[in-house]
Amino acid sequence: MRDNVHSLFLEATRNVFQLMLDLSDISDRSAENFPSDEGLGISIGIEGDLTGEVIYRFPNDTSLSMVNIMSGMEVDSVDDFVVSAISEIANIISGNVLTMLAENDLKCDIQPPVPSKPDENGGYELQTIKCISTTVGDVCLEIRLNAA
Amino acid sequence: MLWKDKYELGVPIIDAQHRELFQRVGDFLKTLRSPVSWEEKVNSVNETLEFMKGYVVEHFHDEEEYQRSISYPGYEAHKEVHDDMVNYVQEVSQEYESSGYNEKLMQQFGGRLLSWLINHVASDDQRIAAYAIEKGVAGGEG
Ligand SMILES: [Fe+2]
Ligand SMILES: [Fe+2]
Repeated sequence: MRDNVHSLFLEATRNVFQLMLDLSDISDRSAENFPSDEGLGISIGIEGDLTGEVIYRFPNDTSLSMVNIMSGMEVDSVDDFVVSAISEIANIISGNVLTMLAENDLKCDIQPPVPSKPDENGGYELQTIKCISTTVGDVCLEIRLNAA
Repeated sequence: MLWKDKYELGVPIIDAQHRELFQRVGDFLKTLRSPVSWEEKVNSVNETLEFMKGYVVEHFHDEEEYQRSISYPGYEAHKEVHDDMVNYVQEVSQEYESSGYNEKLMQQFGGRLLSWLINHVASDDQRIAAYAIEKGVAGGEG
């Protein structure tokens, strides 16, 4: 199970994108060349049977398109409104992953979304970057977890 | 905010309330995001905010009543999700008022509300309908 945690995150991300944004054309892509230093990085802390964080990285164009789909309004900059809307989506995806983990007897809690910081600890048991490609752009999930 | 047919539960009274809720939240967000200075729009933002907040509480209450009427097993958990949202709205409102109507607080609130509401209606509320249909108690409540 633990080796498959990343696939739960990807599955939950796909489900939420389909449900909330009507984006169903989603494929995996390589993490290479993903511009990690620009755009939005949202960290969700995880505690419990797994401890660490998951960082959701959204390029600015992806964030703007997502908020445009949800609100029906044009948005032209990643401002407080957009950051908060995208942070809530990261929170929703993570919450859905908790439900899936609980079904596999792993009990965890999540913390509210915060801006991501550079990794200082390193050396996580489960450390991986997974990316998906959608019609409104790419999203990467950086998973940094230790088993309790 | 755009209403989508997939949000329909098939329970007329709740569906009508969801449409109204999307309308009011949409009006609030449109005002919040209008391309004029904060000073120019803060009064209309506050008006649409109050108009929307009152309806959120009313809708949650009616939807909980409906869940009880069909003995929905997820009632307690769903009520907790509603209560958490109402508490969040109240906390933000208090902070917003005591800050002298700080724009950043409202923009953050609006963004979170947008995502929260779409997910709640498209996911959590749909489970009520799925149960009602499974039990054959959907539809008769309108
Ligand atoms: Fe509802
Ligand atoms: Fe609800």
